Amino acid sequence: MTDRQIEILIDSLLPLLKAGVVFTIPLALVSFALGLIVAVATALARLSTIRVLRLVARFYVWIIRGTPLLVQLFIIFYGLPYAGITLDPFIASVIGFTLSVGAYGSEIVRAAILSIHKGQWEAAYSIGMTRWQALRRVILPQAARVAIPPLGSSFISLVKDTSLAATILYMEMFRVAQQISAAKYEPLLIYSAAGAIYLLFCSVLSWLQNITEKRLARYSAS
Amino acid sequence: MIEIRNLHKSFGSLEVLKGIDMTLERGKVLAIIGPSGSGKTTLLRCFNLLEVPDRGILTVGKQTLDFEAGKKVREKEAVALRKQTGMVFQSFNLFPHQTAIENIMEAQVTVQKKSKSDSRQRAAELLAKVGLADKAEFYPHQLSGGQQQRIAIARAMAVDPEVLLFDEPTSALDPQLVGEVLKVIKQLAADGMTMIIVTHEMKFAADVADRVILMDGGVIIEEGPPENVLENPQSARAIQFLNRLASYEI
Repeated sequence: MTDRQIEILIDSLLPLLKAGVVFTIPLALVSFALGLIVAVATALARLSTIRVLRLVARFYVWIIRGTPLLVQLFIIFYGLPYAGITLDPFIASVIGFTLSVGAYGSEIVRAAILSIHKGQWEAAYSIGMTRWQALRRVILPQAARVAIPPLGSSFISLVKDTSLAATILYMEMFRVAQQISAAKYEPLLIYSAAGAIYLLFCSVLSWLQNITEKRLARYSAS
Repeated sequence: MIEIRNLHKSFGSLEVLKGIDMTLERGKVLAIIGPSGSGKTTLLRCFNLLEVPDRGILTVGKQTLDFEAGKKVREKEAVALRKQTGMVFQSFNLFPHQTAIENIMEAQVTVQKKSKSDSRQRAAELLAKVGLADKAEFYPHQLSGGQQQRIAIARAMAVDPEVLLFDEPTSALDPQLVGEVLKVIKQLAADGMTMIIVTHEMKFAADVADRVILMDGGVIIEEGPPENVLENPQSARAIQFLNRLASYEI
């Protein structure tokens, strides 16, 4: 590495890291939190006794899983203005990622709920609970434990997927990397640096995921 | 009082209950015995609507439900009935994410809307009653099968039910753990608890039950005090079933 390259690397690390902490992480966190709510609601709708709810939920999951995330973001940001809805890049990104997390997450939550033994429902009913009480007090707390490892993996994927927001003009880490790279003509160096920061973020998240799993393992599911 | 009249239940084309009638007075213990597939567990599960009968009438305490084919039971009715019944399952089905005492508090807090401190006090009394006062803060997986089943009995008792339903409560236990569970059930009988017990333990049935029902093929084939049903059965099928059991026990 030449002295010039080392200088560029040192100069760009701070802006990249800052973009990561100030824009990438918040975008991922907000989208994931909202996405989880959508995921649980969609999973419950798919397990509902009401046919219309089941159909709406299936339709939503079908659309989101069957189209590329990049296309969805383009529709929301570049397409919707032609229908009279103009969104700023952050809002458009949050909507896109929330819908994505909601659809994939709903499958995880649904599978987790279905994995809980039928005897748990029966025990809950036998002490006089309604279906909703049984879900809230007995089934979901156990399903959460099953769902946390795969949901942790979705969150890690989401952090990486936020780089797609660069394409709809959101100033997150990857877009900052593109700008520095264009200005300094050092794509290999700058994109590698950006990649290294994503790797750092994801490694920290994996570590947090392990800790959470261990804390949840206080009881063993029967 | 518990009463059923002309109760029918089918799973698909298989008719499991073919018109069952029975009455159980308050404070009495009924044992239901019979070969596997005789419908005894299905009958038991009809008492708290874990299985919804196709036809017939079910009375528990002051509540009467009239079943007709194609008519759904509303959740409100099912909940009202279940508040008057407690059930003990073959595989315990304790809530694994809650401690022993939390398991027993759950119905009081969530269903009866009692305060946490009242619920905890009542749960502690019930734990003492089943001899596990020192296990309050243990999670189910830290306890033996016999201990788990005694916690499950305490959980079922916590709603002060009219009747306790037992579905083969000792079948999943190691032989040396059966005694501690049967002892608790006997104590409840002595306290005047109304109970319906599906069991394979003939000696226990003879010991604890006021009445015994012997089922086969979805009907009651023999009914009466245990000494009559178990020692002096009338029908050929009953004699055959009891002989087969006796030959195993020797």
